Amino acid sequence: MSEAHVSRALSTVSAGEGGGVTGAVMERFVYDDAIVRKFLTATMVWGLVAFLVGLLIAVQLAWPAANLGFEYTSFGRLRPLHTNAAIFAFAGNAIFAAVYYSTQRLCKARMWSDRLSALHFWGWQAIIVSAALTLPLGITQGKEYAELEWPIDLAIAVVWLGFFGTNFFMTLVHRRERHMYVALWFYIATIVTVTVLHVFNSLVVPAGLFKSYSVYAGVQDAFMQWWYGHNAVAFFLTTPFLGLMYYFMPKAAGRPVFSYRLSILHFWSLVFIYIWAGPHHLHYTALPSWASTLGMLFSVMLWMPSWGGGINGLLTLRGAWHKLRDDPVLKFFVAGVTFYMMSTFEGPMLSVKSVNALSHYTDWTIAHVHSGALGWNGLMTFGMMYWLLPRLFQTRLWSTKLAEYHFWAATLGILLYIIPIYFGGITQGLMWRAFDEVGQLKYPDFVETVMRLMPYYWIRVVGGSIFILGALLGAVNFFMTWRSRPAVYEEVVHEAPRLSRSYPEATPPPTRLTGNVEFGKRLEVWITMWWHRVWERRPIKFTVFVVIAVAVASLFEIIPMFLIRSNVPTIESVRPYTPLELAGRDIYVAEGCYNCHSQMIRPIYAEVKRYGEYSKPGEFVYDHPFQWGSRRIGPDLAREGGRQSNAWHALHFEDPRQVTENSTMPAYPWLLGQDLDFASIQSRVRAMAMLGVPYGEAVKDGVAERMARAQAAEIAASIAAQGGKPGLEGKKVTALIAYMQRLGRDATNPAPAEGGAP
Amino acid sequence: MSHEPKVLDHEYDGIQEYDNPTPGWWHAIFWATILFSIPYFVIYEMNPEVPTIQDTLEATRTAELRKQFAEIGELTLDEATILRFADDPKWLAVGASMFRSRCASCHGQQGEGGSVGPNMTDHHYKNVKVAMDLAKVIQNGAAGGAMPAWGHQLSTNEVVMLSSFLVAQRGKNLPGPRPAEGEVIPPFGPAK
Repeated sequence: MSEAHVSRALSTVSAGEGGGVTGAVMERFVYDDAIVRKFLTATMVWGLVAFLVGLLIAVQLAWPAANLGFEYTSFGRLRPLHTNAAIFAFAGNAIFAAVYYSTQRLCKARMWSDRLSALHFWGWQAIIVSAALTLPLGITQGKEYAELEWPIDLAIAVVWLGFFGTNFFMTLVHRRERHMYVALWFYIATIVTVTVLHVFNSLVVPAGLFKSYSVYAGVQDAFMQWWYGHNAVAFFLTTPFLGLMYYFMPKAAGRPVFSYRLSILHFWSLVFIYIWAGPHHLHYTALPSWASTLGMLFSVMLWMPSWGGGINGLLTLRGAWHKLRDDPVLKFFVAGVTFYMMSTFEGPMLSVKSVNALSHYTDWTIAHVHSGALGWNGLMTFGMMYWLLPRLFQTRLWSTKLAEYHFWAATLGILLYIIPIYFGGITQGLMWRAFDEVGQLKYPDFVETVMRLMPYYWIRVVGGSIFILGALLGAVNFFMTWRSRPAVYEEVVHEAPRLSRSYPEATPPPTRLTGNVEFGKRLEVWITMWWHRVWERRPIKFTVFVVIAVAVASLFEIIPMFLIRSNVPTIESVRPYTPLELAGRDIYVAEGCYNCHSQMIRPIYAEVKRYGEYSKPGEFVYDHPFQWGSRRIGPDLAREGGRQSNAWHALHFEDPRQVTENSTMPAYPWLLGQDLDFASIQSRVRAMAMLGVPYGEAVKDGVAERMARAQAAEIAASIAAQGGKPGLEGKKVTALIAYMQRLGRDATNPAPAEGGAP
Repeated sequence: MSHEPKVLDHEYDGIQEYDNPTPGWWHAIFWATILFSIPYFVIYEMNPEVPTIQDTLEATRTAELRKQFAEIGELTLDEATILRFADDPKWLAVGASMFRSRCASCHGQQGEGGSVGPNMTDHHYKNVKVAMDLAKVIQNGAAGGAMPAWGHQLSTNEVVMLSSFLVAQRGKNLPGPRPAEGEVIPPFGPAK
């Protein structure tokens, strides 16, 4: 194949479109495949880690003892580790392998800087390791898929844009291929948009090296988070994988891409429309209705732009379907794209408000994301891996048969994972809203709705295990293929002319219309999209257009969200958390309680009936970060304050099964044993005050700590008086209980304790 | 496709592209979603006459309240009322459901008591002498907050239903984890 490369590169000299290359200087270059080998190995290793952590927490849901009794392995801390590992470690390294392999070949250029490539690789792995260390320690910002604390966030920005982005764009600048292929467009969109999302969602005020508070609060924080969260799916898990598909699928199939024009249309519509859709994660919450409606409508409009990629992928196989029988690579790709099309139909469907009313907070969402993550990202990654292994290690794939088994295990595993969880999610959603004949909730006991999921959870564990078994087969195949590599890798020298400065400007094609008005003719010429060809040889201009598309779409929602006061009507009785409650809230965040508990009661009758008055935007103005959650594995806590006694909470945290027999919540005995760090409370209060939270006197030296100690003593005394454990005043649990008892009380309880009359 | 479509005259690392037109159905659905969105936004976000989700909730709440309590109206919270509903299976079901959602985490699913809350199905009571005291404890709490106050969260009718349910549970003597607490008090109200 290497010979073919050289000859084809040479042939461009004479046969390239247009003139301008004749007499150009031939340049010789070698592609850097070592960096691709590194990223691909990291993909396999981190993939296994992400999958195994996922399996562990899946078992924990069905069998809480699998929390192992350590604070570091409890569900709330491991779930972020699982999601971060799957997205940024597994999918992340897969993206980098794909980008480094294909960009060099599509640009006929080695990566611009080997040093940046190395810094990128090792920097990214260091970030993953630091995530794997900090998340189990409870060091987190408490925003989904953006949990990593600010020093790591800074490192991500540097590695992503400074190392990866610079290296990529400089390679584009120094390319020897005049036009950029569609895969590169998707990589461009990925790099610029992820930078923007990451930076703006991660703006925080630090309160120490390992603690910070989001600069946004409540409604606005929720909006920013899901602008980020949704577009992380878009620009981390979709666009780079479409780029991957556009390179590796026609390669594997040996067929031309189905439609160039479809590539153009779906690329730009996807980039422009995706950005708007974030608010569909917040339907019926305290987010203003206009934003949520925009989120829904743009999600619906996103259906065809998403499917454009799927169609282009699947139809590329026309005339090559027979190859599917013997080629595991194509099997992975076809199944991957099929899962992509399923998920991107399901996504818009789940964005429709009335569907979302049922699906939100249930496992339906979990099934949806796994059909995307395992089906699309997972299968595409493994397909690419099997295509790359023999080429990177310059040998034969150790076992095609094993790769076939991997494919079938992965596909069966995914189905066995998602189907029961769909059933479980819908079942639970229906149970939450079921009423009996006297107009009361049919399943008032939340645990009853959890118990109903147990069989589904166990089938999910089986499905996930089969998927992992497949991945292990992949790892064996990887390892054995690597073992049969040559002693020294052959480095093929390629040749191509440097791009000349001058290039004849393209001219519009002649119109095919006759006897039509001038406008009609111009339109006819315009829709041939000849002008896009011009954009494709201007990487900087192309990038600027992408930035404009993304920025315009973002600002249309962000500006009104922050400027219109009526989005968050003030509630007079809402006050900042006391210093102790703030410390308790930080524990709530650190333990990852938001992974199972929402704090957002939607204005839906069944919900109001179960949890109390629906949540208002004004209740969250001091919530840096917001903690609305996205999944109810446990009940909503927005109005938990006052529902239980302090002693009940202490007992419940020590071991939930002491008060709720079938509870699946992890036990938190360490909260009753560990001392609360009162000394750090002052800096926490000050950081919040910097964000404009009116703490008044409490910011003065020692005041916050004194206030916190007094309140802690009060709570500890009441626990003892109520027959609970004595001597808890210095313990973490008092702070968390203080926070629990405060939740949702300010807005509904304007006159504090007036004898309790209704 | 009867004949091989045109392949464009460029290639990238051996990858070629067809000049196929974009599928008609793709355009049709794309335009349909766009055309659906415009009137949808206008109708739901710009027309003040269309009820919001909050309006809908209020309407449901009022309707449900009327449906449930139409035949009994707004009750007065007193001894006689509580005892009256303790004999009515239909209304006891309402109380039972409320009990399960709010009280069961301490007092057990049927009131048999839990690790925190006393058994409500025996003849022993703390802070209660007459049926009306049940309502008072529900509203104001007891035992230094061990029993939370529910007054601000429950309507009068709901407090009646809950109290009546507890009156009805008395004497069922369901086995619970805690020993009997408080004192044995005389039967509620007039002999039944």
